Order: sequence, then C-alpha cells, then structure tokens
Amino acid sequence: MIQLLLIPAALLIALVFGLPLVRYSWLSFHADSVLTGLVAIPNHGANWLRLLHDQRFWQDTYQTARFATVSVSLELLLAIAIALLLDQRWRGRGVVRAISLLPWALPTTVMALGWRWIFNTPYGPIEQFAELIGLQPLNILSNPNITWLATVVGDVWKTTPFAALILLAGLQTIPNDLYEAFYLEGGHPRAALFQITLPLLQPYLLLSLLFRLAQAFGIFDLIQVMTGGGPAGSTESLALYAYLNAMRFLDFGYSATVMISGFLLLVLACLLVWLIFQQASHWREAIK
Amino acid sequence: MMRQRKLWITVLLLWSLAPLLWQLYTSFCTHEALLQPLAEHNQRWTLDNYRQVLTANPPFWRYLLNSVIVGIGSTSLTLLIAIPAAYSLSKVSQNVARVAKFILLGAALFPYVLLFLALLELARSFNLGNNLLALSFPYAGLSMPLAVLLLLSAFRDLPSELEEAARLEGLDLWQRLRWVLIPLIGPATASTAILVFLFSWNEYPIALTWISRADLLTLPVAIARIAGSSVYSIPYGAYAAATVLGALPLLLLVLIFQRQIVSGLTQGAIKG
Amino acid sequence: MNLILQNIGRRFGSKWIVRHLDLEVGEGECLALLGPSGCGKSTTLRLIAGLDQPNEGSITIAGEDVTTVSPVDRRIGMVFQSYALFPHLTVFANLALGLQVRGIAASDRKRRVASVLALMQLEDLAERHPAELSGGQRQRVALARALLRDPLVYLLDEPMSNLDAQLREDLRPQLRHLILKGSQPVVYVTHDQHEAMAMAHRIAVMRDGKIEQIGTPQELYHNPSSLFVASFIGRPQINLLPAESGIIKAIRPEHLQLSSEGIPCRLVYKEWLGTSQLLILESNRGPLRMLCASEISIPETIKINWPPEKEHQFDASSGERY
Repeated sequence: MIQLLLIPAALLIALVFGLPLVRYSWLSFHADSVLTGLVAIPNHGANWLRLLHDQRFWQDTYQTARFATVSVSLELLLAIAIALLLDQRWRGRGVVRAISLLPWALPTTVMALGWRWIFNTPYGPIEQFAELIGLQPLNILSNPNITWLATVVGDVWKTTPFAALILLAGLQTIPNDLYEAFYLEGGHPRAALFQITLPLLQPYLLLSLLFRLAQAFGIFDLIQVMTGGGPAGSTESLALYAYLNAMRFLDFGYSATVMISGFLLLVLACLLVWLIFQQASHWREAIK
Repeated sequence: MMRQRKLWITVLLLWSLAPLLWQLYTSFCTHEALLQPLAEHNQRWTLDNYRQVLTANPPFWRYLLNSVIVGIGSTSLTLLIAIPAAYSLSKVSQNVARVAKFILLGAALFPYVLLFLALLELARSFNLGNNLLALSFPYAGLSMPLAVLLLLSAFRDLPSELEEAARLEGLDLWQRLRWVLIPLIGPATASTAILVFLFSWNEYPIALTWISRADLLTLPVAIARIAGSSVYSIPYGAYAAATVLGALPLLLLVLIFQRQIVSGLTQGAIKG
Repeated sequence: MNLILQNIGRRFGSKWIVRHLDLEVGEGECLALLGPSGCGKSTTLRLIAGLDQPNEGSITIAGEDVTTVSPVDRRIGMVFQSYALFPHLTVFANLALGLQVRGIAASDRKRRVASVLALMQLEDLAERHPAELSGGQRQRVALARALLRDPLVYLLDEPMSNLDAQLREDLRPQLRHLILKGSQPVVYVTHDQHEAMAMAHRIAVMRDGKIEQIGTPQELYHNPSSLFVASFIGRPQINLLPAESGIIKAIRPEHLQLSSEGIPCRLVYKEWLGTSQLLILESNRGPLRMLCASEISIPETIKINWPPEKEHQFDASSGERY
C-alpha cells in the first residue's frame, strides 16, 4: 500500500531519464533527418560509422574534456580554499557565505551575457585595462587559442560556490577533537591540512568532483550564449554539437548518436575518477 | 593571521561580486560613456537602458512573470510527488532503499542537457509546446531525484516512535502525514522547494526548445535571445539592464533563503 | 481484563527475534520485561501494541483475540522511551489530536483533555511545546496521553531511561500509583533490574528472544532457575566458582561471611558503599566479590565461608539449576 506512493515519482523519473536513453539508443541506429522527411529509417550503424570519422565530434570531445578537466580542477582548488575560509569563525561569516553563493544562484545565461560584455573587445573592462597598461588588444572572444579559457572563467565563477558548500559541509563533520589531539602530539597546523582535513574530506571531494565533472561535461548554456561555440568552433562542446545537429541541421538520428556517446564517455570518465580515488586511498593505506 | 583572513575575505567578495557590479555599472551608463569610459562626458549616467528593456515588446517583466509561473508550478508538482515517494522509501527495506538511492544519485548527477531532444519529442507528441505550466512536468522530473533524496533523509531523521505514537492514537496514513510527518519535515521541505524553484528559474535548454512564442519565454531564454538578436539598438547597456533585472529577484531569494539553500545543498551531501 | 500471549514468534528474514513466547498478565498486574539489549523485550512490546505483526502465535486482550486487530482498535495506552510527543504541537494539542481523529466532538474533547491535565497537574503547561518541558513533565504528558486512550492495556517502554537518577526514584511511586489505579494489565519494559523490582509484581527475564524465568522479584533473587538469571539479577553480581564435576556453584556477595575456616583469600581492593563495603578478593577458586558491613576492618588475608542453604548449583553445560 505504502509502496504505491512511489509510483508517480518512479514513473516521472523513468519518463524523464529512462525513456530518453532508450529512445537515443534506438534513434542512433536510424536515419531521422530532413533527408528522410523526419521519418526514422534503420540505417544499420551508419550514424556510428559517421561518428567514428567525424572530425568535429572528436574535436568537440577533446574540447569538452579539456574544458571539464581544467575548470573542475580549478573549481575544486578554489572551493577547498573558500570552504576552509568559511569554516573558521568570524563576524559576518553568514553574509559572506550568502554573497559567495550568488554566482551559483543566477541563471547561467544571464551571466554568460555578462561575461560577453566583460571580455568584449575593445570596450570590455579587461581590454580597457590591457590598453591602459599598453598591451596589444587581447581579442579574448575572437582568438581561438584563448577563448576557451574565458569560458572556463565563467564556469569556475558560477560553480565554485556549490563545490565550496559541499566541502564546507564535509569540514563541519570533522570533530574538533581530532585537531586538538593532533596539536597535542606536536603537529603543525599546516600539516593538519594534509594529515587530517583532506583525508577526511575525501568522500566530499569525490562527491563534488563527480557532480561537477558530470555538469561540466554537459556544458551547454554558458557556451551557447557566451561564444556560440566559436570562434572557429574552438569552444564547441559535445552538448552544443548535439543541439546543433538536432535543432539546426535537423538530423535527429545523428544528434542522438552524439548524445549517447557523450553519455558513455562521461560514465567512463566518472569510473576513471572513482578508480583513481580508490587507488589513492589504497596508496595511503600502504604508506601507513 | 587576522589580517591575512581579512585579505582573503575581501578577495572572495570581490571575485563573487565584481562581475555583477560591472553589470550594474554598465546598466546605468550612456552609450557614449561605455564606448569611451575614460573620456569626459556631459552625460555619463542614464536610466534609458532600463526604460528600453521595460518598454520593449513584450516588456521585460513579462519574462519574470513567466519564470515565476513555471517556478511555482514545478515546485508544487515536485513536492506533491516527492513527499509521498520519500515517505514510502523511508519505509521500504534497507536493500531496496539502497538501490533506489543509488539510482536517484545517478539521476541527480546526470547532465540533463543531454535529455532535451527526447523531451522535445515528448512535448511534440503530447502537444505541450508553448505551454508554461507544461514545463512543470520535465522540471519536476529532473528535480525529482534530488528532492526525493533530501526529503528521504528528513523522513529518516524523524524518530520512528513519533509515527508509532500517532498510529496508536488512531491516525491513518493520510492523517499521520498531514498532522505529524509533513509539519515535522518542514525545514527540509522548504530547502527542497527553494532548490527546485532555483532550478526551474534557471533552466535553459528545455525552455529553449519547448517555448517559441515570444510572450511565453522564461527569463533565461529571453536573456539569451537578447544576446542573439539586435532588438536593442544600443547593445550592451540594454543587455546589462536586462541582466540586472534578471538577477535582482534571485539576489533577494538567495539573501532571504540562504539558510534553507545551504542546508538543502549540504544535507544532500552529508546524507547522500 | 487480562493480556495473554501464546506461542508468539517474530522473525526478520530467517532470524527469530522472539520465539515460543508465552505470557499472561492478570488484571491490575504489572509485569516487567527485563533483559539485556537485543533480548527481544521491545519487540514483544511492539507486538502487543500491534505496531508489529507476529509470524506465529496469538495475542488476547480482555478475552478477545487481537492478533490481527489494528493498533488503534486494541486500545493500547503506551508510553514510549522517547515519550514521542509531537514536537510541533502544544501539550493540549498533543493530547487532543488522537481524540480529534477518533471523531470526538470538540466540547467533549476539551473536557476530557482538561480533566486529564488536572489529574496529572499539567494545567499550567497546556500551551507549552514539548521542547519547553522538563524530562519529568514530558513523561507526565506521555502518561496523560496514555490515560486519555482509556486503554485496555498499558505498555511502558523504558519510561524512566531519559530521566536522571534522582528523578527516577522520585517518580516511581507516582507512576506506580497512576498505572495501577485501574484494573488494566501493565507491561513494563526495562533493562534496569532495580526499576523492575520496584515497579513490577512479577518480572520476566528475557534472553535471546525467550523468557528465561518469570516470577516475583523475590523468587528471581532467591531461586534463580538458571545461571543467566542468577548473574543478571542482583548487584554486585553473583560469584561463580569454577565448575567441579559438571556443577557450577554460585553464591551472592552478600552471603559470603568471614570465618575462621574456609577459602583463604587475599584482599585486592575495597569499595566503600556507605552502609556496606564491597571487597574484591583473590582466592585459589578465582576472584570473589564480597559485601559486608562497612564498619568491619578487613586484614590483608582472610578466610571466607557461606551458609550451605545460600549456595546455588547450576549444570555447567546447560546452565540450568541443578
């Protein structure tokens, strides 16, 4: 009887998460585009063959992985620092915490637009400053070599507060006695960070890492609004490529193939991270 | 030590606020002042940007209203479904609950943008496009994993004796939920509600593909459209005014509900 | 009115929590379920309340088989260990909630709650929330709720364990008076033998889901049916001498005496307990605990003995009384 209460939620989750995966798997073996009159026709793996030889797909995979790795690493480092700062007791901590949360709460598209203006050449503040100190124009959003770094800044700015909060919660589960015992044994406060804080924080690090990795891998809003994937496709992500395939090229079969592969790659990446964490704790055990 | 900490706090505040303050500054600048910020101007400050955004067609507040409608709709729907589900999960056996939690966590981690195409197909086959309240269904579905996880841990935290006492007193399942359990998980419900509201307020790819009528756009899509169009003749001043107006409601929301937001996010992490 | 449990069994998976349990509690009788944690005493109580269903056996309340009857229809007055007061409701609302859902009219509800508040001397606290009450006050509210049920059986689950030692002693007579005023059977779960002895007419000592022995406090003390009961009842714990030809002898510390002949012992240390002192002795039969009057001064080496009729003998392999 009580189990009946689960049904609506289970149905909704199955509909929203389960059905798409099944549908994409099916679609990825069909041609379904303007050429077929938007009717799905089996094409015997042609989508997958095309994917294997699709330069743009592999380019985007590389760019997505690069973006995710760099921005998640930066986020976590910053988040650890912010969490340590917010874990201490000082006046006004609550207000600062609320303010530091703001970037996370704002719609991505709102600030993506904001960043576009900040990185604007020649009127944005960064270029203005560069000009002031006598540099050549940086052309941040039109130089394929550096534009992706601007998207990393936008992403780090937005998502660090989330990771910091998770880590802060983790920090607050560490009992103070542990530090006191450590200091009584003659431990140095800085050593406590590596001997106590980070090891005990590990589950939270893993959680925020996995969560952020998954989100960064699916980056879409920020890129679409901030750079549109450009210049010269240098910031295009897998999700944006899948979106363009579906909405601009109206090739649903191929879009589904891209999305399924993106999903599989992400699962692979998460497994890898998880294994690394497992290994890391084994090594630590071994050292002890 | 103290001085060092003050320095870091200042850095943190600057990092969090500077981009926002720059938007604020921009939104009040005249076109000329933006193009040559260092030069002298007879008129540096203006409200024209706001005037322009608010009197456009449709006016900007329309998007805010749309987002509020979607937010309230999806938050209500999520809670309506998630509370019974979480209660039910708190009663099933340990093993079932563990599997369910694993699935929910996986779904919560899922980069949902990958789902947009299938969801769009659903919207087409059920004719749900261009309908603000219909957006509540995908939003509730996408928020469901996190909502159930948060509420589940709240139900788990309630002493089982409370519900047993209520049973002995003769309260049936509905009465127990209505009079005892739901009031007691109030804080967790508030946290969940605010997180779901924030999610649906900020959601972009699904709103982008489900809604095409200009007067039904939600705020994130409207902003993105401004970016991709030349509706406004003076570009960045109006952009900035739009972002400020779009950010203001959230600014208030975060400041008012920061305790609930923080506890929602962190409960999920600790119990998950 | 009485309560009868026949051959009750409850298992989780393949593990039996209680099994083959028979119990009868008579009119106006208080029976304590006493045992270490995990012995099945709380499970038994929940089975009686109907909060849990037995896999075998039957439960009869006031002559009626209630094995499949819902908790509310069994008319149980229960006091939980945590008191289980609804924290978001005032004392008054806590007490009125059950009456309300059972369809009692508002005016009647008010009158009945008021009368039980008066009985429990809680009138001044009616508008407070549980968090604003002391432990003793919370217990009174929990008890008031049980009284309001007009129950056929009282079930009390460790009702004293959340109170400090002094308060427990103060409240025992009051609690005893209130619950034994009527003719309902009372089942009182506790792990504290002093409390069991003070509150109950009879005590059922439980172990591993079975009743090890059931009887008056005096019977359990003087005539323990097994090694387990002998060790469990009585503090300081009974002395067990090493098994000789399959028999373990047990003597309570208070029955050991100084004598000119007997087992030679060396005094290891002593604890002063006020009217008495506890001696920890080392002998060739192992360590011994002895209780004697506190004014006697004890030399380094002594000899001890005991009256033969105070000696208990148990089978070394089965633990049963020999």
